Amino acid sequence: MSTLLATFDWTIIRENLPDLARGLERTMQIWVIGIGGSTVIGVALGAARANRIPVISQLAAVYVEVIRNTPILVQIFFVFYGLPSVGYNLTPFTTAWLAVTIWGGAFNTENFRAGFEAVPFRFREAGLALGFTPLATFFQVTLPIGGRIALPSTINTYISVLKNTALLTAIGYPELTSVARSIAAVTFRDFEMITVLAVVYLTIVWTFSILIRMLEARLALPKEA
Amino acid sequence: MRRLGFAVTIIVLAAASLAAWSFAAPAGKPAATHAVTAVKLPKLPALPADVKSRHRWVIGVKCDFPPFGFIDVRGHNDGYDVQIARRFTQLAFGRDNRLSLVCVTTPSRIPTLQSSRVDMIISTLTWTQARADVIDFSTPYYSATGRLLVPNNSSIAARRDLHGKTVVTTRGSIYATYLKNCIKDANVLEVDGTAAAVLAVKNGQADTFMFDDAFVLGVATQDPTLKLTSDKFLNIPWGIGIRKGDSKTAAWVNIALRRMQLKNEFVGILKANTPAKYVGAFVDNVPGPKTRFAYPVGKDPASDCSGI
Repeated sequence: MSTLLATFDWTIIRENLPDLARGLERTMQIWVIGIGGSTVIGVALGAARANRIPVISQLAAVYVEVIRNTPILVQIFFVFYGLPSVGYNLTPFTTAWLAVTIWGGAFNTENFRAGFEAVPFRFREAGLALGFTPLATFFQVTLPIGGRIALPSTINTYISVLKNTALLTAIGYPELTSVARSIAAVTFRDFEMITVLAVVYLTIVWTFSILIRMLEARLALPKEA
Repeated sequence: MRRLGFAVTIIVLAAASLAAWSFAAPAGKPAATHAVTAVKLPKLPALPADVKSRHRWVIGVKCDFPPFGFIDVRGHNDGYDVQIARRFTQLAFGRDNRLSLVCVTTPSRIPTLQSSRVDMIISTLTWTQARADVIDFSTPYYSATGRLLVPNNSSIAARRDLHGKTVVTTRGSIYATYLKNCIKDANVLEVDGTAAAVLAVKNGQADTFMFDDAFVLGVATQDPTLKLTSDKFLNIPWGIGIRKGDSKTAAWVNIALRRMQLKNEFVGILKANTPAKYVGAFVDNVPGPKTRFAYPVGKDPASDCSGI
């Protein structure tokens, strides 16, 4: 261990900083799109499932089961290599955000469904009694409360979406992990590159968790009297 | 009379089997071949101690790179590199099954060698100064050039057409370095294996696959929708990778290669692994009694941007 630390080559990191930064930028792009897309899918399909809307509810259930029960790497390969054979040719960038969004959307569907179902019925009843339409009840009552209940599990999903972007190496999309591995392949300094990856991902996730905890504190539902 | 006939038959059979056995006798000492006239073959030095005690070579080879290293339909390793490995095993131990083959890929082969998971790597390893700084190379055993594999209707004819295009190659290959140094505005897509690269070209996700001629020629002739451009570049020999400082393995391997070269065995191995119609295109790429290759030491072909 001490020899590993003694021979740690900082110059390799310094020399390749622009490439690594560019890779990190792409990782963040995919992650942000993934968060946005999976939230929209999660809220929409979660609401459909919680309210037992016919047809959509069943289709959503199939979607969730397929995505949750297959490895994400297989899903990435399917989107990148499988779709072209039925005519859809996607660039690596499109495959990247599409694959992580589909994956995150499935998990978020279940998260939000649980959140919406956990909203006490009396609140929704009160909304309807006050003359809100069902849709208005959803947006004014169920979503704010259910969303907050679902927040911890959706955060887990968003963190997993970030970690899953590392798997896009498999299709050659030059996000951070792919760039680091390419540098390691040419310079033979695997240890330095892996350390960089570990530190960067850890920092991002930790910062994100801290921010979310602050957000959770602000959004906490008042304790019922 | 019957007993006499029986005894004669036994003696004749024993003599015939003894004769057959002596003809099939394993090498280990300089075996006389009929083809070459009285060539003095160098004597093989002692095997490294751990290989000797293990009584087996452990060699890293490619498993996705026909015709050099691949898995055939019955699930066995085969190819030019693999047959060199078997020949080494025969020279060392008298049989070609005292061999363990480990699949490696372009990015994994050097770390696999450095971590002592294998004794050597015979894995389409092109010489570069950067690689020679971390591992030792044997004398060359093959010489390849780089080529561009494109779809039939492509507008790409040479490297100068690559500006702004998407070029796919394998991670850690000399072509990745060459593109980064010499064609900076090309969009480089690095994948981990040759199959993924060919698929990217076929699906239109990359405009061209830049790779060794030996592999892409095979692909182009099997696939009528793909073709090679005539632009040839980066002609650098391949060597067997040996851990830095492992002088016993290096000495043994170099002598073994020299023996194979003097007996012109490389042409035979090439012919056994290449369909007849391509043999002519590649016979100048293998070493022979009169053909030797040299590494471009002191030069870095991957940064030599002339000729684009």
